Amino acid sequence: MTEQHERVFSAPREWTHVHPVSPLLGGWAVFAAAIGYWFSQGPGAPSSEEQLDLHLTLARVALIVAALAALAIGFGYLSWSFHTYRITDEAIEQRKGLLMRQHRQARLDRVQAVDVVQPLVSRIFGFAKLTVEVAGGEKSGIQLMYLRLADAEALRNEVLLLAAGFRAEVAARSSGEDAPRGEFSLRHEMEGFRLAPAPGSAHTAVAAAEERPLVAVPIPRLLGSIALSWGTVTMVILAVVFAAGSLALGIALPEVDLVAVFFGGGFFGVLSALFGMFTYAMASLNRGMNFRLGISQDGVRLAHGLMETRRQTIPPGRVQAVQFKQSLLWRGRDWWEIVANVAGYQDDQQAVSTLMPVGTRGEALTALWSVLPNLGDADPAGTVSRALSGSGAEGGFVTAPRAARWIDPIQWRQRGVRATDTALFIRRGRLVRELMVVPHERTQSLAITQGVLERALGLATVEVHSTKGVVRPVAQHLAVADAIALVEAQAQRARERRKVQTPEQWMAKVGLADADADADAPSSAAQSEASPAVTQEAPHDGR
Amino acid sequence: MTWFSPEGVVWTPASPRLIPVRLITATAYFVVPAAAAVVASLTLHRNFWWVLAVVVVLAAWSAWITVRVVHAHGWAERDDDLLVRRGRLVRRVTVVPYGRMQYVEVTSGPVERAFGICSIQLHTASPGTDASLSGVLASDAERLRDRLTARGEAQLAGL
Repeated sequence: MTEQHERVFSAPREWTHVHPVSPLLGGWAVFAAAIGYWFSQGPGAPSSEEQLDLHLTLARVALIVAALAALAIGFGYLSWSFHTYRITDEAIEQRKGLLMRQHRQARLDRVQAVDVVQPLVSRIFGFAKLTVEVAGGEKSGIQLMYLRLADAEALRNEVLLLAAGFRAEVAARSSGEDAPRGEFSLRHEMEGFRLAPAPGSAHTAVAAAEERPLVAVPIPRLLGSIALSWGTVTMVILAVVFAAGSLALGIALPEVDLVAVFFGGGFFGVLSALFGMFTYAMASLNRGMNFRLGISQDGVRLAHGLMETRRQTIPPGRVQAVQFKQSLLWRGRDWWEIVANVAGYQDDQQAVSTLMPVGTRGEALTALWSVLPNLGDADPAGTVSRALSGSGAEGGFVTAPRAARWIDPIQWRQRGVRATDTALFIRRGRLVRELMVVPHERTQSLAITQGVLERALGLATVEVHSTKGVVRPVAQHLAVADAIALVEAQAQRARERRKVQTPEQWMAKVGLADADADADAPSSAAQSEASPAVTQEAPHDGR
Repeated sequence: MTWFSPEGVVWTPASPRLIPVRLITATAYFVVPAAAAVVASLTLHRNFWWVLAVVVVLAAWSAWITVRVVHAHGWAERDDDLLVRRGRLVRRVTVVPYGRMQYVEVTSGPVERAFGICSIQLHTASPGTDASLSGVLASDAERLRDRLTARGEAQLAGL
């Protein structure tokens, strides 16, 4: 740690190995070491011959385990020696593979998200995994396991800097080893942000863009939200039902021992329900612990995690679709959960898709502005608010007609669709309120479908295809004429918006000094009134 | 107006040759149970003829469905997007903008090749995009693919 303060960490331009300790950081190695240790200690219950026998067996097992571990580690090092990476002006490149050689190149202008992930073991030892997600097919992203945390951060900062469209020589100049600490940061020249490196962060050649914190989830609220979530409630109901059922059985059949029945049947039911509750709560806790949402020059920054921490950076314009959710029990406090689709993310969608695990309506709106700064509406806060908790045609929504009640009795009144100049709102849900927001320029394709019952009732469903992720925007059971009009209009709007969408290199248009005239100025100005804290200086608002 | 069919759109129907291709493929599912029923009725019990009757009825019904589904399938090239229509019972029209196409895939199985047709699958960045054209005449497929690719490149937008 002491050495880190003297060194300037920078991203390698030459082929470089990932850290040599990497093969040891996989969870299994620690596990094997633990087993070996346990065997070497022995159970410790002394008893003459038997014990000797046992010890011999144990020694043999220990030997096998040790041999296997050595083999695995040896193999790990062999593949480590083939695992290298480097960064160029256009791409981040990775070479790996023992038998099947792989050379993967991720173009920086296609970067969708950059994550620094620290599983528990590597966090303890100060290492991190860096993942760079790019647009284009499965397995097109790059995962570097493992780097020193400072190396990972240096690489992340440089990737984001280059991805934003800053010219290479600028970045190269700034990465000189001898650059004094105050001057290496290009961000200095950006207006609107002060340079204040996060406390304890390493000295990297390209400093991390300064982050403006927007939302943090307090732990009591997170715990409360988990206690009031559907998962918990279902499990509690199940446990009560099991307990009551076995109790009732015991009363109805008095000759049977009540305690025996309870422990025989109900107990295991209760236990499994409680276990389900526990795993659910742990998953939610892991996801929402220490959650922070902030915004920076590089885009939206998310940080969260209990055991495994994850720090995500999602550059401007990379969010493909957003979904708000509010279950019945959250309604009293007006809490909302937000998830989003980001292209490139493949696995572990639950962990990567959360934009806000729980927050008030105000925070939810802030989070929405941070990823979709321009909703193309004169009164975005009012519109979204109405979209969140309204019903019927209020707020300009096209709703499902009365005929829909036959196949959709519960939520037909809540269903509604509304398009602004830049995004499509789809509202649904009675018990769990949901709102989906899809920017027109992110629409991949559209479909209109009609099943047998829908045809009989004169209804149709419109799908908006987003990239892979948890949000799947569908507007169900609209009147056929409305659905047809929606598809046509939506195709047209998507076409228009594609022409004016965010450049992939999000700072390239702005440049270092000469900011372009802003096409979206009127609407973003309107929006900054709605949430001045975010939009006035939000970097990608004034693109 | 009962279903989505914008004005001025000229639909290209799937080739009728797709019908025999689909029927031949479907036959595989019915031949084995039918043969088993015949053998069983000859060796075990004559009531197994009923099983054969059921299989034949099912086969006839699926053949009728196949014909209707093939007739319902078609596509239309517009200036900016491709429309794909399919399904009779559950109807579906997919609108795929050229600028969203990641790649175009042309495939043809042995039966399709024998009848001189092939399938074209369009891929976007969304797994939900369900846009495949079946029963494209092999002579048209190359041109259609090239046209789609060219339009896609001309209009390609970032994600």
